[in-house]
Amino acid sequence: MGRLHLSYLDGRMYTCKYCYTHLALVDDIISKTFHCNNGKAYLFNKAVNVSLGEKAERMMTTGLHTVADLFCIACGSIVGWKYEVAPDRIQKYKEGKYILVMRKVVDFDGTNLGGGNESQAGASDADDAGY
Amino acid sequence: MGGVEDNEPPLKRVRSSPEELRCVSKNSSLIEPIGSFGDTMAKSLPYVRNETVGSMGVIKKVEFVRIITKALYTMGYEKSGALLEEESGIPLHSPTVSLFMQQVLDGNWDESVTTLGKIGQLEDSVFKSATFLVFEQKFFELLENGDVLDALKTLRMEIAPLCIKKDRVHELAGCIISPSLCNELVLGNKGLLHRSTRFRLLEELQKLLPPAVMVPERRLEYLVEQALTVQRESCIFHNSVDSALSLYTDHQCGRDQIPTKTIQVLQKHCDEVWFLQFSHNGKYLATASQDCTTMIWKINNHSEVSLRHVLAGHRKPVSFVSWSPDDHQLLTCGIEEVVRCWDIESGNCLQIYEKSGLGLVSCGWFPGGTKLFTGVNDKSICVWDLDGMEVDWWKGQRAVKMSDMVFMNEGTIISMNKETSILLQNRETKAERVILEDNSITSFSVSKDERYILVNLSNQEIHLWSIKDDPRLMAKYKGHKRTRLDIRSCFGGSEESFVASGSEDSLVYIWHRGTGKLLEKLPGHSGAVNSVSWNPVNPHMFASASDDWTVRVWGLSDSDLRLVNGCSSNGHLCNGVG
Repeated sequence: MGRLHLSYLDGRMYTCKYCYTHLALVDDIISKTFHCNNGKAYLFNKAVNVSLGEKAERMMTTGLHTVADLFCIACGSIVGWKYEVAPDRIQKYKEGKYILVMRKVVDFDGTNLGGGNESQAGASDADDAGY
Repeated sequence: MGGVEDNEPPLKRVRSSPEELRCVSKNSSLIEPIGSFGDTMAKSLPYVRNETVGSMGVIKKVEFVRIITKALYTMGYEKSGALLEEESGIPLHSPTVSLFMQQVLDGNWDESVTTLGKIGQLEDSVFKSATFLVFEQKFFELLENGDVLDALKTLRMEIAPLCIKKDRVHELAGCIISPSLCNELVLGNKGLLHRSTRFRLLEELQKLLPPAVMVPERRLEYLVEQALTVQRESCIFHNSVDSALSLYTDHQCGRDQIPTKTIQVLQKHCDEVWFLQFSHNGKYLATASQDCTTMIWKINNHSEVSLRHVLAGHRKPVSFVSWSPDDHQLLTCGIEEVVRCWDIESGNCLQIYEKSGLGLVSCGWFPGGTKLFTGVNDKSICVWDLDGMEVDWWKGQRAVKMSDMVFMNEGTIISMNKETSILLQNRETKAERVILEDNSITSFSVSKDERYILVNLSNQEIHLWSIKDDPRLMAKYKGHKRTRLDIRSCFGGSEESFVASGSEDSLVYIWHRGTGKLLEKLPGHSGAVNSVSWNPVNPHMFASASDDWTVRVWGLSDSDLRLVNGCSSNGHLCNGVG
């Protein structure tokens, strides 16, 4: 697959659960109140070492958003999604930000923050309890 | 009536009798066509001062003819030059100037200065400087002849009263006392005949006097070269080693000057090929692969590539190579492993550089080729000598990535100090300049003349920065795909007028460096193209390394034909055509 270009982060961070590739810094968390079928999800300002899937419109609890799935560039596992277009002004703050699903990532000191059963692999039917 | 035929050679017309001439001029006033044919009879017609030549009406005829005359004289065509002056009625120099020049060449200094005064439109300062030069020559010649007293008189009565260039006057005074000083001051050897130093004096005077008075040397050649330069610069595809510029037509290279055809596929690696680089002399190509080997390929005179050495020994994939400045050695870097130094001639490993407990991530040479540096994965940088001894160490800000550092010949170290910025630091003065980007930088490469940097960014753009003075963003190149991998780009072509890059969509992208226009998207590979390297010596060849385990060598689209015509001794390339 070629020579992967990996970015490296400094500080407390979340990494991919399977290959430990750095994904996002704790300092970049905007909100911890999101949820999806797979459990808790955090909204981050910035994520690295992720590649974007196709844009798709999905119905969330707060409305119809355009999102793109995020994949870890090293192992390809799906780790969350990125908000591209929000439906109204209230949700605008999410545009360009990244959701990482906690079940798919690992805190830097090794604890797994996901909880509950894994119903499906993708985050496609994600809901979010945003405000 | 005879004699007014346009296809008669001009010479004939000139020699016609005065009566015929008078007839001719009478007729010509009735039937003379406007334009060039009328001008050939200019001997009998006075030229109009404001006449112009050419369709745009910006070329003054007087100036045009004079620089042509000057060019004829410079090329040695004395007779043609004199004839042109006569026929056009436009003398190269006014009679006063011709007299002045003749007097200078004959050494009649005082008369020449008088004549100089008679040349109109001379500014005071110019007149004084010219007089100074003339008398200076007189002074030197007198000294050479041994006439010290006369020389002194010249200095006192003729040069000093001009009141310019006081320092020079002091130097000249010094000459009287010490003849050796004289040797240094006189342009050229002292023993030369007077005539050739006088020619040089004429050249100096011509530079000093206004161009309308004495036409500058080689003015016509200079104008033509200017036009050719403009044509060459506007030719986007220009990519030739010899300037095949002709005066007959405007220069416009076709697309066929850029290599677009795969002429060879090198299939010896057993895994993805991640990096490749031509040697500085263009004779070798080094390819580095995930199969933990580096291969050295030789390029022969017919641009054929053949395997020379397989450098095996690394236990990890080889991510980067660096040719020594003299191309005799090659550094190869295994990912977070060791750096090995190889001898190109024998293929043997000369040295292994490692740090116990740590892995090395990048390598490069110091400009002199006697020391090398390696980046370590604990963010430090080590300097080594050729015997394997560590000679220096410092903590860098960020040394985790690949081509972290480049040492330029003129003393600047270029390194990445943050994900989004590149630091240029002068080794002696410690002066720093920074290139700041909005997105993360994945790699960079420096042009051959060390004036430009190509920066590859994570947002699928390649930026060109000029680094001669303060870093300035010059151009952006887009179109290729880069989302996950380290894709490298390079400068290429004669005068490095192209930018080439690999891409994750298996195509090779080539842009024009100056305009940023995408010129080519070349298919061929069946996997992501990781790296491209252009032959620094042959602008019609570059190579690409890909995830499909192959390296492709690209050449001009008609290159096969050329090989046949060149009668390559390789039988299978000639198809029997004579």
